[in-house]
Amino acid sequence: MRYYIGAEARLRRTVEDVAMSVFQAWNYEEVITPSVDYYDLFEQGMGQREAQRGFRFTDNDGRLLALRPDVTSSVARMAATLLSERPRPLRFCYAAPVFRQQTQSHAEWRRENTQLGCELIGTGGKPADLEVLRLAAEILSRLNLQSHYCITINNVEIFNGVAAHLELEDRAREQLRRLIDTRETAELQRFLKDYPDAQAFSQPSQLTGKRNVIQAARNSITNTRSLAALDSLEDLWAEIESLGFENSFEIDLGDVSSLDYYTGLSLKIFVHGAGASVGRGGRYDGLTGSFGRAEPAVGFVLNLDALTEVLARNIGQER
Amino acid sequence: MITVAIGKGRMQESALALLARAGIRLNDGVNSRRLALMDETQQYRFIFVKPADVPVYVEHGIADCGIVGRDVLLESEADLLLPLDLGISRCRVVVAAADPQAMTNVQGMIRVATKYAQIARAHFGARGIPVEIIQLSGSVELAPALGLADMIVDLVETGVTLRENGLTVVEEIAESTGRLVVNRASYQLKSDEVGRLVKVLEAVIG
Repeated sequence: MRYYIGAEARLRRTVEDVAMSVFQAWNYEEVITPSVDYYDLFEQGMGQREAQRGFRFTDNDGRLLALRPDVTSSVARMAATLLSERPRPLRFCYAAPVFRQQTQSHAEWRRENTQLGCELIGTGGKPADLEVLRLAAEILSRLNLQSHYCITINNVEIFNGVAAHLELEDRAREQLRRLIDTRETAELQRFLKDYPDAQAFSQPSQLTGKRNVIQAARNSITNTRSLAALDSLEDLWAEIESLGFENSFEIDLGDVSSLDYYTGLSLKIFVHGAGASVGRGGRYDGLTGSFGRAEPAVGFVLNLDALTEVLARNIGQER
Repeated sequence: MITVAIGKGRMQESALALLARAGIRLNDGVNSRRLALMDETQQYRFIFVKPADVPVYVEHGIADCGIVGRDVLLESEADLLLPLDLGISRCRVVVAAADPQAMTNVQGMIRVATKYAQIARAHFGARGIPVEIIQLSGSVELAPALGLADMIVDLVETGVTLRENGLTVVEEIAESTGRLVVNRASYQLKSDEVGRLVKVLEAVIG
């Protein structure tokens, strides 16, 4: 629960306007989705674990409703149903509040967050991935955060390939994922000592960096699924380098926080002054299929409230 | 420069000794009452806070890193990176009671006094044992003798305090050692500085 008054509200509005104008300059159409929808939609869109964080209540006829915990689910359904005949690719953007129950955890106490987001649906591969990365970078530099931000990129298929190759059961796979996510070096080494193929993940400090990270991973990874993902990540990195963006980007093979959702690229956005990531996104080719029309899709969201807070503090410090 | 939060009390002394072995020495006496202390090279700023507050400072990014016991981390729900087990302040989180057979002998609802309400709830909850958790903030070992609780969940280092109060360990829940924790954003945005700290500490814990 948060009020914005006067100058703060103006700043927040400016941030929103900057993002929306960048989206629109890249031909992203604004879309406004329902704030309240059937809970089933979000479970289909986000998976049960995430959707359950939504606030749920029943309609007159007993059907379960939810305050939208994300916008992507609604956009994906819209693309697969209402707009199934429209020529591809589809480009949509939005600025909309989402509502999620929070754990007691302290940094994420907000139940309501406004997402500035975009979705690029119906086109896959490197050009689409690169387009959304460039969009994110452009918004951040237009907000004068140039050289104050870092976008980490990963391809979730690198982990998935290793886990499949090791034939890990669900519980062991989840344990490995958690250890990588929290970078628990000693436990990781204990877990992986019987798996020479997964040594790439045993040194968390070698999971983040620039191009050298991919080289290091290739030294121990042998399965074809992971290698293909490493190739496409390296291709994407080469494009980032050729745009001269490599100082603002980083590869993080340890970003395995939402494997069940993303199917390729995953990204996180960090800004100096914010204690947690201010944005995230990735490729989710599996999503529209669950609404009846499978096609590639990629997108990201920025957290308007977190960005406003950082910018308000920066302005305060300049005075 | 990065900021490191250290839990006051039990952990503080062994954490500072470990840092000194890694070549990181404080400028000022540890007994200084100043809120924040710099190290000799001005690369690190140290703040000393209550152990339970270390995850809070680090999760918010006020401190980039922290040194804190695993017991505190299990109790908090903070979303942090845990790159190193420092192996200091080794102890155990246990269930203790006056009667070694308490788990099966207590009639009705078991009353558990503890500072670690989350850990206790999760431990008993996972096995479907209904318990009433009584949250205390200190001297937990007195609770059974005074009739407040049937058992306690507490941190044990040597077991002397338990014995003095006529308690024995019924179950071990977890082992706890000092951990280096890192804020997720600092890990990316200050990767050089954080990486350096991880490296020098890793070298001395061997």
